[in-house]
Amino acid sequence: MDGPDRAAERLQARAPEMELIREAQAGSRAAFDALVRQYEQQVLRLALHLTGSEHDAEDIYQEAFLKAFRYIGNFRFECSFYTWIYRIVTNLCLDQLRRRKTRREDQAVVIDHSGDEIDILASVSDNRAFSNPAKELDRKVLGERIQAALSKLTPRERMVFELKHYQGLRLRTIGEMLNTTEETAKNTLFRATKKLRTQLAGLR
Amino acid sequence: MNCELAHERIVLAAYGELPDEQVHELDRHLATCSECSHERQQLLALKTLATAYPVVEPDPNFVTRSRIRLEEALDALPPKRWYERFGQRILNNFSNLQAAPVAALLLLIVGAGAGTLGGYEYAQARSAHAAGRVPTAQAAKPDPAPDAVPQAEVANISSIVRQPNSEIVDVTYNQVVPQHIEGSLDDPAIRQLLMLASANASSQGVRDDSVGLLAAECRAGHACQGEGIRDALMVALRYDKSEAVRLKALEGLQPYVAEDMRVRDAVLEALLNDSDPRIRASAISELEPVEADTGVRRVLTTVANSDRNPHIRTVSRQVLSRAPEFQ
Repeated sequence: MDGPDRAAERLQARAPEMELIREAQAGSRAAFDALVRQYEQQVLRLALHLTGSEHDAEDIYQEAFLKAFRYIGNFRFECSFYTWIYRIVTNLCLDQLRRRKTRREDQAVVIDHSGDEIDILASVSDNRAFSNPAKELDRKVLGERIQAALSKLTPRERMVFELKHYQGLRLRTIGEMLNTTEETAKNTLFRATKKLRTQLAGLR
Repeated sequence: MNCELAHERIVLAAYGELPDEQVHELDRHLATCSECSHERQQLLALKTLATAYPVVEPDPNFVTRSRIRLEEALDALPPKRWYERFGQRILNNFSNLQAAPVAALLLLIVGAGAGTLGGYEYAQARSAHAAGRVPTAQAAKPDPAPDAVPQAEVANISSIVRQPNSEIVDVTYNQVVPQHIEGSLDDPAIRQLLMLASANASSQGVRDDSVGLLAAECRAGHACQGEGIRDALMVALRYDKSEAVRLKALEGLQPYVAEDMRVRDAVLEALLNDSDPRIRASAISELEPVEADTGVRRVLTTVANSDRNPHIRTVSRQVLSRAPEFQ
């Protein structure tokens, strides 16, 4: 059984991170910068996919890490730093989703910092030897339909589905991040998938 | 499994959250329920559809730009003042202590327990010491006559003097001061009290208990030589009015019949003179192992001929016949 060995490995892997956290708590800016570099990619990826806007994702990134810097002294090592930072990010994302409850229908694109649109679906690579324009269009339309269906979910349902389906987190972790129980996260996922299936019933 | 539960488990299974044993159960249900099987197909289709809105890795330039903006914001923050840093340090240390609540609680319990026990022991010791001095102090000067002296507390009256031409009488008495002590059977103080109790206890029950405890110690071989325990048992065997107490004393002396002549004589005396046939019969059995003792043979012969109890006479004869080595 590799459970205890894996746990020891994870603990060992976390030991440098714990040192960084302690140094950051003691006031080391370099240590905090190192922590930012460890998690910035994941934070931006989550915020970008949820908001669909580079501008909004950057705002969430900024606010999340400023909060982390301000309150890192309160971190008690009762959970992983990953869970702690994600808790901050998901709360900010939920606030953002609530503010933007009525979102634009077409979300096939994201808006970059200069205001230009970036077609998400264009970045999806086609592994076939030749491209099929008709298929590309289908995929774009499909993407738009998916985003429209996602926007119909409540912010909490959207968040749980995002963290489970797109980010691949465990329901227990999702519960910790959203400051709720695994059971509640599970029920939220059921509702989200049921709604999405209803929304996308006509699609093949 | 009902279909509503199956629908929930289909979702969990699709996302790898269903325990293995429930996966098997679900598969069996899906094999027989077309509706739930269709439900699973729908969910798998949803998962496929959802990939049409993929998660995109942030552009490296975007990441760098965001980091620079963050660093500028962090640089713009005012530095923490010394009292803020100090306060944070205190909180962090407190949180470290909080991180070991069990250890802290145990430490508290152990410390409180040790302190309480120590205080109790000290109070007991002081009380015992004070009780040892009180009777002497009381005898030194006369006190005014109390309303009543409980009879149970009076050990004895040592003198009575009437003052001339008056109704005043001086009575000097010794008072019993109840005390309590707790300790191991190996404790010399406990043993001393047990020996006193075997001879002087006012109730038979107390004598019974004390002799029983002393006898058990001797049978177990726990140091019955120099402290007078054997003497106490022999006294109990010879003088106690209770057959039960005498029987216990006899049993306690059994290990020493062979090695101690005084004990052997006491047992022989019990065989000759004790009124209880059970005690005389026990005495015979305790004397069996003794070898080459003419005194034992003589007593057994006397008992075999003249004991008033026929069973005792029979047993004596049997012992004499089995032990021709007695001289």
